[in-house]
Amino acid sequence: MASSSLALISTSTLISQGAEAKVYKAQLTSDQSEPPILLKHRFRKGYRHPTLDSSLTRARVAGEARALLKCSRSGVNVPGVRMVDSVEGVLGIEWIDGQSVRRLLPGGVEEEDDQSEDSEPEVVDLLKEYSISVDILMRLIGQEIAKMHLADVIHGDLTTSNMILRHPSSFKPRASALPTELVLIDFGLSYHSGLVEDKAVDLYVLERAFSSTHPDSEPLFETVLDAYEQHMGKAWAVISKRLEDVRLRGRKRSMVG
Amino acid sequence: MPGRVRKVPLKNPDRPYLALGLEGSANKFGAGVIKHFEDGATSVLSNVRHTYITPPGEGFQPRDTALHHREWALKIIKECLVKAEVSMHDLDCICYTKGPGMGGPLQSVALVARTLSLLFDKPLVGVNHCVGHIEMGREITGAQNPIVLYVSGGNTQVIAYSRQCYRIFGETLDIAIGNCLDRFARVIDLSNDPAPGYNIEQEAKKGKRLVPLPYTTKGMDVSFSGILTSIEAYTLDKRFRSDGLPRNPNDEDIITPADLCYSLQETIYAMLVEITERAMAHIGSKEVLIVGGVGSNERLQEMMGIMAHERGGKVFATDERFCIDNGIMIAHAGLLSFRMGFETPLSKSTCTQRFRTDEVYVSWRA
Repeated sequence: MASSSLALISTSTLISQGAEAKVYKAQLTSDQSEPPILLKHRFRKGYRHPTLDSSLTRARVAGEARALLKCSRSGVNVPGVRMVDSVEGVLGIEWIDGQSVRRLLPGGVEEEDDQSEDSEPEVVDLLKEYSISVDILMRLIGQEIAKMHLADVIHGDLTTSNMILRHPSSFKPRASALPTELVLIDFGLSYHSGLVEDKAVDLYVLERAFSSTHPDSEPLFETVLDAYEQHMGKAWAVISKRLEDVRLRGRKRSMVG
Repeated sequence: MPGRVRKVPLKNPDRPYLALGLEGSANKFGAGVIKHFEDGATSVLSNVRHTYITPPGEGFQPRDTALHHREWALKIIKECLVKAEVSMHDLDCICYTKGPGMGGPLQSVALVARTLSLLFDKPLVGVNHCVGHIEMGREITGAQNPIVLYVSGGNTQVIAYSRQCYRIFGETLDIAIGNCLDRFARVIDLSNDPAPGYNIEQEAKKGKRLVPLPYTTKGMDVSFSGILTSIEAYTLDKRFRSDGLPRNPNDEDIITPADLCYSLQETIYAMLVEITERAMAHIGSKEVLIVGGVGSNERLQEMMGIMAHERGGKVFATDERFCIDNGIMIAHAGLLSFRMGFETPLSKSTCTQRFRTDEVYVSWRA
C-alpha cells in the first residue's frame, strides 16, 4: 500500500524538478476553495546506497521543516509548514503567490528564460505591480536576513531566486504599511549556528549571487547591507569585520596539487 | 544558449601538426606524441608512462618523486618517440605541465622540456594540468559541452565551460578525494601498486556492511578531511578485525577492512554525484564527463550513470590510459593553444604549484 503522501503527489501537478527534489502544487483537501500547498518531494536517488539515501532524506526533510518553524517563531517571513513526511521525503509548505526577486531585478529574467533585449522595461512594470521601489525591496531583503540571523538560522543558499515578493492580492497586512512582504524560501541547505563566521559567509554567498546574476548591482547590495546593519544592531560590528575577511579569503581558494 | 551560436575559432590546420607532451606533476612521469590532421581529426601516436610506486603504508615524497622523474625522463621520452615513429626534428612544439602539482617533480619536467626545446630549437607550450585532462576527455569521448567532474589525487572540482574559461562551480574545501583514498589505503596497509584507489575498489567489492560516516556536501562544495578522520577511527573500534576474519563462530558483529573500503566508496562517491547533479541542474546541462585518476573507478562511473539516466542525460568517461595522468593530454591541450598562436617564451617557462583551472584563457573553444 502506497503511503498517503505519495497518493497526494499522484493527484498534484509537477511544477519543476531541481537537483534535490521535485516540486508539486497540491490540494490538501477536496475543498477547492482552500488555498493550494507546495509539495517538495525528495525522491529516492538510485545511485545512493539505500540506507544512506533514506537517512539523508529523513535528516534533510526534518532539518528543513525545523528551520522553517524556527524562523516563523522568530518572526521571519517564511512559508508555513503544512505537512512533514520525513520517511517518504515529502515536505508540504504554504503556497506563496508572487514573483522571485531574481525576476524583479534587471538581468534576472533573461538568465532564467533566455529572453533577451527587452527585459528592462518589463522589470520596471513588474515592480510597479507590487508598488514598491527597488530601494525598499533591497531594505526588505536586508531586514529579513537580519531577523533570520538573529534567530541563529543560517540559510546556506541565499540567492535572489530564493526570495519571493508576495503578490499584493494575496497579502493580508498585519502591522505593515507596505502592500507586500518578502518571503525567504528553500531552506534545504540551512543549519543552526550562532557563529559570526557562518553569518558572514551567508552574506558573502548572497553578495556573489547578486554580482553573478545582476550586473552592476553593487549599490543594490550596499542597501541590503545597510538595512541588515540597522536591524542587527550591536551584532553588526563583528559580522561586518568578518565579512571583510571572508571577501579577502574568497570561498574558492587556490588548491595545491 | 539558443540563438547565440559562436563559431569555433580554431581552424583546421594547413598541414599535420605534431606535439610532444611531458607530464610529471605527481608520481607519474608521462610522455606522448599527438598528431592533428588537416581535416580536424587527431591521432594518439604514443602514450608512455612510468609510475613511482612506494611501499604499502608510505606516500610519495616530493624529493623522491622528482628524483624518479629525472631518472626516467629520457628513457620514457625515447620510448615514446620510437613508438610514435617520429624524430624530435618532426615536432612542431614541446608541451609541458606548468602546474598545478608538486613543486619538485614539476621543476624536473620543466627542466627537461626547456633543454629539449633549446637542443632542437622547438617552441615551448606550458599547459595547465586540469585543462589537459578536460581537453583529452572531450577529445576521446566526443562530449560537446559537458559538466566536468575532475577527480584525482590532488584535485576535486566540478567544472563547466563558459565564455573562454573553464569555471569552477564546486570543489573540495580541504583535501582532494584521491588524497583521502590514498591516505586511507595507507592506514589499512593496502598496496600502492598499481594505485591505492584501485586496490580500495577491489577490496570494496567484498564489503557488505555500510558503516555510518559523515556526509559533507556544502552546496556545490564537498569536504573529505572529516570523513578520513572518521573512517580511521573505525580501525581502532573493538569490532574491527584487521584480517577480516571473525575470531569465533559467534563473532558476527564485526567490521572488516573490506567493509570500510565499501562504506568509504559509497559515501564519498555519492557526495560527488550529488554535487555534479546540482551543477547539472544549475546550468541545465545533460552531459557529464569524468576525468582524472579517480575517474577510472568503475563504481563512480556506475553511480554517475544512474544519476544521468534519471535526468535523461549521458555520462562520458575514459579508461586508465587517459584518466590517469599522462603525457598525451598535455600534448593535446598544448597543441590546441599552439594552433591558436600561443607559445611560452623560454624566459617565462616556469612552473607553479598553484595554477587554477579558471586562470586559463581558453581561446580555442566557441
